[in-house]
Amino acid sequence: MTDVAMMARPQRWDVPFDPAMTDADVRLLLQRREFRDIKPDNFPPHMPLEGILKNDARLVHFRPGDIVVREGDYGNSAFLVLEGRLRVVLAPGLPPDLHGRQHGRQKGFFEALAQLWTNRRIPEVRDIRRYRFAREGLRHDYSSGNVRVFIQDIPAVLDKHRTAGLEDGAIFGEIAALGRVPRTASIFAETDARLLEIRWQGLRELRRYDENWRRQIDERYRANALRTHLRDTKIFEGLDENVLEAIAERTLFETYGSFDWHLSYKQLMQRGENAEAKEPVIAQQGDYPDGVLLIRAGFARVSMKLGTGKRTLTYLGAGDHYGFDELYANWKSGETKPLQTTLTAVGYIDILRVPAEVLEKHVFPRQAQPPKALISLADRPLSDDALIDWAVDKRFINATKAMLIDLDRCVRCDDCVRACASTHGGNPRFVRAGSTFDHWMVTNACMHCADPVCMIGCPTGAIHRSLEGGTVVINDDTCIGCGTCAASCPYDNIRMVEITDVSGKELVDPKTRQPILKATKCDLCESNPGGPACVRACPHDALRRVDFRDTNPFRSPNA
Amino acid sequence: MKALARALAVPAGISLLFVAGLALWLHQRWLQLGDTGRITGYILFAVMLGLGVLNLRKRLSMVPLARAADWVSWHAVGGVLALALFWLHTNTLWPAGPYEQFLALLFYLVTITGIAGYALQKVTPKWLTQTGIELIFERIPIEIVRLRLTAERVVYDCCEATGSETLGRFYLETLDWYFRKPRFLTSTLGGGRRGQRWVRQQCDGVARALQANEISYLETLRQLADAKALADIHYSLQGATKLWLLVHVPLAAAVLVVALWHLLVVSVYAL
Repeated sequence: MTDVAMMARPQRWDVPFDPAMTDADVRLLLQRREFRDIKPDNFPPHMPLEGILKNDARLVHFRPGDIVVREGDYGNSAFLVLEGRLRVVLAPGLPPDLHGRQHGRQKGFFEALAQLWTNRRIPEVRDIRRYRFAREGLRHDYSSGNVRVFIQDIPAVLDKHRTAGLEDGAIFGEIAALGRVPRTASIFAETDARLLEIRWQGLRELRRYDENWRRQIDERYRANALRTHLRDTKIFEGLDENVLEAIAERTLFETYGSFDWHLSYKQLMQRGENAEAKEPVIAQQGDYPDGVLLIRAGFARVSMKLGTGKRTLTYLGAGDHYGFDELYANWKSGETKPLQTTLTAVGYIDILRVPAEVLEKHVFPRQAQPPKALISLADRPLSDDALIDWAVDKRFINATKAMLIDLDRCVRCDDCVRACASTHGGNPRFVRAGSTFDHWMVTNACMHCADPVCMIGCPTGAIHRSLEGGTVVINDDTCIGCGTCAASCPYDNIRMVEITDVSGKELVDPKTRQPILKATKCDLCESNPGGPACVRACPHDALRRVDFRDTNPFRSPNA
Repeated sequence: MKALARALAVPAGISLLFVAGLALWLHQRWLQLGDTGRITGYILFAVMLGLGVLNLRKRLSMVPLARAADWVSWHAVGGVLALALFWLHTNTLWPAGPYEQFLALLFYLVTITGIAGYALQKVTPKWLTQTGIELIFERIPIEIVRLRLTAERVVYDCCEATGSETLGRFYLETLDWYFRKPRFLTSTLGGGRRGQRWVRQQCDGVARALQANEISYLETLRQLADAKALADIHYSLQGATKLWLLVHVPLAAAVLVVALWHLLVVSVYAL
């Protein structure tokens, strides 16, 4: 027998959400009305309710003013209020500085020009006096070791903003956690509050195995977001509210893949394994379609069998749908043809399934022309698949502003890198290196992803989407250098840098003697006039920022 | 090619119209026995100043001053326009007088380096892409050192594993020189692959003298040498695209200085 070493197979709960969670905590939770009526028998033996509460949930204490969730943040957990009172800020939303975010102020022409002489030769210089003001809005939670943004003047916020109260028993954050969409409002603690935070995996199991939790989550989703989503879906354009209501009533929610896909994807890439084989199947070629699948968040690969292998035809993202053309053809012809393609989840995907009979009643009769069949993409030459395969395999489909360089034009002069440095205090925010295919390179510059996994878990909300343009930016003032975002980015496009003071001295934490770190990345020159300097600076028109969801991101607008 | 034609079409069209109009106007003025030299001289100097601004624009990438690609298109066409203006101004290919000849020499050198550089920039990207690897110029020496250290490790391993010194001797006599720094630069600059041919010849030559258990080490060395050849291509081509600017820009600055003095002298004597 081959010489082998033994270890227990890793299990899902090897790393609990909070190791401090005790059996006594779980027993107390099980006495609450939210869990009291749950039938433990509905849960499989390997996934008991107690196990979910112990391993996928944690108790969190918030002091008055602590912000629990921030509008616009991407979170991976939901909250149940156990004690205390919270406030949801309805309108107007909290200003960015109260969220620990930066003002999206743009420099004027001369202020931008002044960078010519104000940029420093020493890398990563920071004026540390600035941080003192930022720190006033941060509070250290010594029990958990976390840093939180907090509101100092609660009465002023209550005066200026319309708010609603959340008390004992209220659940919030579940739509953002399961649907991978930004939080729609900010919530802060008005009094001392104790909350149960349930990470998305636990929430998913509660929804799956308990009817009450499923109904509660689904009803809230139906009430809050579903109708808006259906109204914005192209195939339902022009339908009146009553019809949309009927469709919403019959719509089913499904999720596939892992919420933490970026972590497993990085591991697969490091091991040099093919991620495609691990993609969960949503719909299989040859199966009979029972409804149209609307993609609410995430990405999916459309592929078909080819010989003994398969080929990727395209990928679908938020707002796209699958199976509509086959259902329509079946309805029109009266036949029952199976699906001609396979749909697999690329990472995490949130899907709405609208049953076929609903479409046959409300949608197909209004359809003037047959929809274009996805299978028609199979008509293109096989060699044309390679670029799409590359974009999907490398997850570039997530990019809304990928830096794409045409290497057949690029003379490798690095004017783009210099231009980037000139707009960021002398420090470039990307490396002209990255993944290449044929004569295309996607560089290691932030792609401002549609699914920005880097934003999950930032303790201070320093990394966020700017309200102005949706760009993913980092507020240097509130970044605590924890590196969560850099570790999460599947593309290694966020860099942790050691900072120095204005005299060039390296800044070191007096307690740990470790250098102070800050997360840095491309911000699309958001504060600079004229857009990304890298694009403007390329003398050979080789560099573009592209949205991989476009029909053909590789086609140059100037070609 | 289409993209290149499209990029140059507008500046070329406008310049052509400008030169044609100017030539017509100068001809009329010449028929009236007017002085055309001073006008063409001032225009030529203004165009040369305009061409020089491209270098300034590169330093001002923090402000929106239109796309650098458009600037380069105008610069390329402006360079040709300057040549046409130069001939209109001097009425000859080679002027009389040592100072004017010096100025003309500098002007022609700037023009030639400009055209050569423009051509180089259109050709080298494709050659670099064809290597199948991407290297940042400043990191190429580090990459070569890495390859050399790996190659040396392979040779040590071979000597240790086989007890034979043949591969070690071969390495010291041939490949050590090759791995020391970028080689065969002029060949790669012309699109040649002399480096790879040289490696093949050397390796094929020694293969006959090696035992079967040494061949796999030689093959690893050959792969490392091939990787080094690709690094050499990058070093040569990327180096050339940087080096030509170090010739073109100082020459252009010299032309402006010499032309300014020429302009001052002519203006003073014309008073």
